[in-house]
Amino acid sequence: MGITQILFWILAITAIFSALMVVISKNPVYSVLWLIVTFFTISGHYILLNAQFLAVVNIIVYAGAIMVLFLFVIMLMNLNKETEPQKSKWLKLAGAVAGGCLLLVLVAGLRHTEKQMTEMVTGDIGLIQNLGKVLFKDYVVPFEISSILFLSAMVGAVVLGKKEPRIPVETEMRKVEETQQAINI
Amino acid sequence: MNALIFSAVSGVIMMFSSFLLNNKNSVRVLAHVLLLATIIANIFELRGISFFHIDTRGMLEFDRFALLFTLVANVCTFAFFLLSSRDLEKIGNHYSDYFSLLFFILAGIVVSSSFKSLLMLFLGIEILSIPLYILTGSDKRNLKSNEASLKYFLMGSFSTGLMLMGIALIYGATGTFQTGITVAEKVPVLLITGMMLLLFSMSFKVSAAPFHFWTPDVYDGAPTVVTSFMATVVKAAGFIAFMRLFAEEFGSIRPEWKLLVGIVAAVTLFIGNITAVFQQSVKRMLAYSSISQAGFMMLAIYSLSNDAKEGLILYAAAYSLATIGIFAVLVRMKDYTFEGFNGFAKQQPFLAGILVVFLLSLAGIPLTAGFLSKFYMLKATIDGGSLALAIFAVLMAAVSVYYYFRLIQSMYFKTGNATISGTTTGFKYTLAALAGITILLGIFPNLLTNWLYF
Amino acid sequence: MYLLQIDWWIFFEKLILVAVIVTTALVVAMYSTYAERKIAAFLQDRRGPNRAGPFGLLQPMADGLKLFMKEEIIPMTSSKFLFVLGPMLAMITACMTSAVIPWGSTIDIKGHQVPLQISDINIGILYIFGVVSLGVYGIMIGGWASNNKFSLLAAVRGASQMISYELAMGLSLLAVLMLVGDLRMSSIVNHQIANGWNVLYQPLGFLIFFICALAECNRTPFDLPEAENELNFGYHQEYSSMKLGFYLFAEYINMFISAVVMSTLFFGGYDIPFVNEAAWGNHWWVGLIGFVVLMTKAALFIFLFMWIRWTIPRFRYDQLMNLGWKKLLPLALVNMLITAVVILLLHK
Repeated sequence: MGITQILFWILAITAIFSALMVVISKNPVYSVLWLIVTFFTISGHYILLNAQFLAVVNIIVYAGAIMVLFLFVIMLMNLNKETEPQKSKWLKLAGAVAGGCLLLVLVAGLRHTEKQMTEMVTGDIGLIQNLGKVLFKDYVVPFEISSILFLSAMVGAVVLGKKEPRIPVETEMRKVEETQQAINI
Repeated sequence: MNALIFSAVSGVIMMFSSFLLNNKNSVRVLAHVLLLATIIANIFELRGISFFHIDTRGMLEFDRFALLFTLVANVCTFAFFLLSSRDLEKIGNHYSDYFSLLFFILAGIVVSSSFKSLLMLFLGIEILSIPLYILTGSDKRNLKSNEASLKYFLMGSFSTGLMLMGIALIYGATGTFQTGITVAEKVPVLLITGMMLLLFSMSFKVSAAPFHFWTPDVYDGAPTVVTSFMATVVKAAGFIAFMRLFAEEFGSIRPEWKLLVGIVAAVTLFIGNITAVFQQSVKRMLAYSSISQAGFMMLAIYSLSNDAKEGLILYAAAYSLATIGIFAVLVRMKDYTFEGFNGFAKQQPFLAGILVVFLLSLAGIPLTAGFLSKFYMLKATIDGGSLALAIFAVLMAAVSVYYYFRLIQSMYFKTGNATISGTTTGFKYTLAALAGITILLGIFPNLLTNWLYF
Repeated sequence: MYLLQIDWWIFFEKLILVAVIVTTALVVAMYSTYAERKIAAFLQDRRGPNRAGPFGLLQPMADGLKLFMKEEIIPMTSSKFLFVLGPMLAMITACMTSAVIPWGSTIDIKGHQVPLQISDINIGILYIFGVVSLGVYGIMIGGWASNNKFSLLAAVRGASQMISYELAMGLSLLAVLMLVGDLRMSSIVNHQIANGWNVLYQPLGFLIFFICALAECNRTPFDLPEAENELNFGYHQEYSSMKLGFYLFAEYINMFISAVVMSTLFFGGYDIPFVNEAAWGNHWWVGLIGFVVLMTKAALFIFLFMWIRWTIPRFRYDQLMNLGWKKLLPLALVNMLITAVVILLLHK
């Protein structure tokens, strides 16, 4: 076992443990925090695979932006143990059994995987220079098409998020603004 | 490529039209013109004239099947625009944004029907889905719409997760995103696992049982206009992607999945039809009917023959046109229950007659497009070697006659005062044209399927 | 036996470097508090702290001692673990950024080439960006764990403010990256030594970055998370003793670090203007001079920060959001676009 392997095991165990804690935690805020830990361990794996760019982008995008928004919403909703809707025991059991079955099947299936597929440390496709070249040469069409995806998400954010104007309030606001301007003059 | 670029650019233009044009009528006209331009551009490409030459590195392939389906989807959307674009206004204030989302969905349809790479499949399916999540929730003051949107979004992102996992496993097994893999004697376990995950997530996207749970709630909660679009064009696009995926990527490992797809098809037919019988709301009935029609379309994936391909295109056209027509009438009804249609024939004999054509087509009565498309599916299934499945499908089609005829019964043989508003002459003629196409395709299906070859 | 594989020279070299840099950051932050009070006094025509030691120079020590000695209170209803974690995270993320900053040119010690930079990773600037984006967790966790409505509101304000300004900050950085063509901090500095400071090419980008840095450090006019007249004392209201000290301290470290980052990205880092110091060789004193130069630039920025703090009033919340999303973000985009076009034309 080299240092890489020791690190791998530490990261892998932390990743699984924290992912489990995301599900198990009673308090949603703790779940989110554990999820952030999971993202960090995944970034650690990227670094082991010599994909530093992916690692840091994973942290910036997921831990730094998306999870902050999650935390934001959960904190504002003030969810806690008392307000959490309790599912019936049987439903929980059924969920656990179903998830366990999926896990079992996946593990049983993938146990017989033919070859070892990871290359630790070696390989430099994850470095930003190579990634950029691949992205803008081989994968430029999907890259451009994904812009449609983002555009539609942006339009959607406007559609869903924009305040519906109500006419009476608007005229009210205009009056207020007019008086403000009058005062300024 | 023509249709993809035209529809994406149209979406952007519609986006800007929200503040460049302040008249709703001009926005609507603009949308119609842009869609017409997209259709014409697509026909040009179908005739071999492509305006753009872009090296997609083999990730997209615009073969006749993809192009023809794109044409069908665009034409159905055009019919949808003609019939229901005024009703989009009633959803909320972002009239032009709704159009732009619809155009983006069309772009997604092009991608997901012409992909040659799993990456593109993912992108296409996502471009299809994300605008739909939004459109479902666009009726912001309606709690049901909000709930439907959230439900759809959560379930949809879960199935997207499964899809990504599957794609990752397939990539692990084959080392490439390109479809059309060749496998050695022993099929890699990773490939099979990935295939299963993709099967699950695609079944979810086309609402095949047992992954259909979201469908009734979402279709019911979404604004009716939106339901009309997503139950038809988008669902058909999902099937085209499904078909392409399983024909090209997993065609070589067919024995591994044939039984499973057969079971999914049978269960979908059963659940969709039996539950539809018990519905009291026409909108909900149509939601379950869409599940049962999905069961029929699954048969195409089960058999994967040329007949199945032709049939799927025909099915997509027949089902979409008929359902869009029914929904267009439904939107204008005051009461969405079966009772709400009581005495409809007395007040609107013309509309009632057209509705009957659509319902007959959905039920699969001869002389309508619905019959022939079901026929193609059954033929392909029997050729594919499963008589039992075909017989089961016929039985289920017989069950479906019950609930479609129930609507006819309440229109013609019950008294009541069905109220409908906003039926203009143009609306009626458009509906009549749709009914005409439905019958025409029922007699001469070659008008459509020949495009696949010539 | 793995220990034998480690290059002990590098290990100790880095260890010493880390110790020195963190100590420097702490000391600078400590005296920033003193400087802040002196500058405030100067701007307000007062004397400022002048009792502890000559010119009040020992005042920071006295303050630190006071914070250490104070009674430590953890509220009953708070979430204990997170309550402690909050200030820790704030401090850690504040210190972590210093790892990729080149503090001086490479020096030669007994045949060993020692770069005055802890780690020259090839994604240096993204690393800084990542760590800065994590800085918000200290505030959020602390504010939430306090179980106090004012703290929570302040934390939420802080988070939304930081996220909003990160976008414009990232976009203004992109223009710099286009100029340099590399993400390594060392090559950004070397590029500036060779071609002139980035601020000459990116004045608008610098301005945007500067404003965003103010917002990221929660300095006035962006100190809404600690707006004392609206939120009592902001997110660290329930904190006392050294935990409070950590929060206050982290702010000053952040200020120091962002001053250094700005000097590095836009003002040539350890480069001495109009002098070709590379010709002097790799002596240790060259590295030291570079370090001093960098510190001088940073000190000027810190002074600018303080000057702004004591002259400009705080934004209202909607003004803050408008500035971030409707002004800085489009400006940064335009800046990026212009940079890209110019580079494209020049390359042709």
